[in-house]
Amino acid sequence: MDESATRLLQRIVRRTPTEKLKATLEKWDRLTAAQRRSVDFTEPKWALIEKLVDACKENEFKMKHITELEMILVIENPNQGMWYTFQLVDPEDDAQSVDLLQFQEQFKSHLRELKRNVSVKIKKHTDQAVWIRIAWGDSFSRPNHLKPTYVVHQLQSPYIFVSSLTSKLKPLLLQALTFSTRHLAIKDANLSGRKLTAIRDLLMKEYQQVFPTKYPSPLAENNQTLSNLNIEREHAEASANRHRMAGEAFGDGTLPELQFAVYKMETKFKDPTNVAMTERDEPFRCVVKFSSTNLLESLRHCAASGLASTPVTPLLSSIPLKGRNYFVITDNAPGAASRAQQPQI
Amino acid sequence: MEQTNASVTRTPLDSVAVKRKSKSRSYRQSYRSCLGVASRLGLTPARRLTTNRKAPESHNITRQVNPEHLALLVKNEWQLAYVTPLHQFRHTQLRSYARHLSAFVVAEKQQGLAVEVSGLQNGFKASMTVVQGMSEADDDPETVLIQIHSKPLFSRPDDPQKLVWSGWLTCINGNPEYLHSLPKDFTCLPLFVYKGAENLSSLVKSWVQRTFDCCFGPLELSQTSLQWLAALWTNCHAESNIQHLRMLWTLPSAPPLQVTYAVDPHDVWELWGSVRKGSWGDGAGEARWIDLEEVASFMQSLKSHFYRHFKLDLSAGILNQVSTALGSARFNGRIKISNSAYVITTLTLLTECALLKMPI
Repeated sequence: MDESATRLLQRIVRRTPTEKLKATLEKWDRLTAAQRRSVDFTEPKWALIEKLVDACKENEFKMKHITELEMILVIENPNQGMWYTFQLVDPEDDAQSVDLLQFQEQFKSHLRELKRNVSVKIKKHTDQAVWIRIAWGDSFSRPNHLKPTYVVHQLQSPYIFVSSLTSKLKPLLLQALTFSTRHLAIKDANLSGRKLTAIRDLLMKEYQQVFPTKYPSPLAENNQTLSNLNIEREHAEASANRHRMAGEAFGDGTLPELQFAVYKMETKFKDPTNVAMTERDEPFRCVVKFSSTNLLESLRHCAASGLASTPVTPLLSSIPLKGRNYFVITDNAPGAASRAQQPQI
Repeated sequence: MEQTNASVTRTPLDSVAVKRKSKSRSYRQSYRSCLGVASRLGLTPARRLTTNRKAPESHNITRQVNPEHLALLVKNEWQLAYVTPLHQFRHTQLRSYARHLSAFVVAEKQQGLAVEVSGLQNGFKASMTVVQGMSEADDDPETVLIQIHSKPLFSRPDDPQKLVWSGWLTCINGNPEYLHSLPKDFTCLPLFVYKGAENLSSLVKSWVQRTFDCCFGPLELSQTSLQWLAALWTNCHAESNIQHLRMLWTLPSAPPLQVTYAVDPHDVWELWGSVRKGSWGDGAGEARWIDLEEVASFMQSLKSHFYRHFKLDLSAGILNQVSTALGSARFNGRIKISNSAYVITTLTLLTECALLKMPI
């Protein structure tokens, strides 16, 4: 085992919680039964690292074995780091028939044509997704396995999720992906987040989207005067209405965990009490960012509780509807209402 | 206060206007509002936030203040606190105060150590200096800078000492009525800005508290103060580019929703101009006053533009932070002043907040 492989192994062990490490090592299934028995997970990390490095040296493991361990970890814990979404467009006639073997070969050869010294590892996961790990090097240096890029793609779907990609390498990767999936172009899908599963669910609409048409209104208590009852009924109706509309805009049940949404706005400032600004020709430029631990949940709560007026504005309901969290907003015609337009990238 | 009696039937604001005309010294004008009302309510003069204040002017204090002190103030983010008036504090005795403070810090740090570690004796060295030129009105007591230097535990004897803690006791444009009303033995430096290790901060506070019989309290910035800062900074855009006006709101949804609202500097400046009444434009005039009403309508305009698009009412949440290239201020009392030209303006507002916060 060379030095860089040892360093990668050390880092993996150091960064992984012991519980997770135990499960991952079992899944990896590269250590002998005796070696596995000798590893004591109650020991401190540094002792654990020492023991595992020794075991791997004993088995004469190479970098590829260690990257395999890393891939298992990343695939099992997809909700780390920042994931960006790209969308394949203009499929060629044979795009639907690309299989894993073909894609694998094509992708590796395309990428190697574009860049020397890249190390690519491809693994098919049980949920049909293809996981690609790319370690980048250049003409003079060997691939850097400490800063790999991860790509997740489900064959025949238009979406590709990428994490840890520098802007310099982005065009190369996108080009290789476009060619090997038999498409003509690829574009930014304007969706990003910390949780891969969440942004994938949002795009594939794989979350509960049952839109109820009726809500039971709460039962009124009997011993109240009639006028109170009426007021309460009215309140209950308004509240039920808000809940319905919040559900219609964002869906019910658990929502995919998005962390933020960004709106770049260049719209006219309109205020009947402020003539100077309303008559101004230039738009009012601002950037609005909403963030929360679960953005869609927060927005739904805002609408349901009355913090936000209902019906929910299309600007906000576009997030789940269009599966995007980056928007550029301009007035489509002078005096007309604003709408979401194609972002300028 | 005979004028106040004459105008009992008027609204408080009217009486403010009447009184303003009667006085001539401009820096006192901002406190007019509280006088009219406060005297009738029997309150001390400092107890209300002013409803109008002078538009910020860039003060070239670089000429007056030691550039080293200014650089220290400008490059860092500071925590804010208020201090009640200091009893028997003398600007002339700073040297001996510093000696006492050093001894106090060292003694406290040694508590719990079984053996006296001789290295610690020289471990902390406090210094206290008057910051020349860091005052505005004649009544303001001079600003005092407290610094604590320390040597890392395992350093060589010739290593230079490192600055580990600094704090300022200051009063910029303090309410003159209030300052005059204090008994002779008290010095009012109500604003305490500091940064450094938490335990050193509490040591310094407890030493000052014991020595000058005063007390400290956290200075949080109210919604109004943050809005004032947003308006005051925006007002500077013509002279000094503010880059952006960024406001951070938190809405009480579950889970909480954070809204960052960043506006283009030129557009926000024009919006500010459109809500200004009267004096906008004729910059040379003496009447460059900013009114709380203008600040409120500025904020309302920003909120209504937001509402028009997102149907979300920002008034339901709290304004947590405002920032521009000139500085940033947070609800929890952390502030950064990035441009030395507007130090005085910002500290004037903060002095006022500190005076308001003080339990009297």
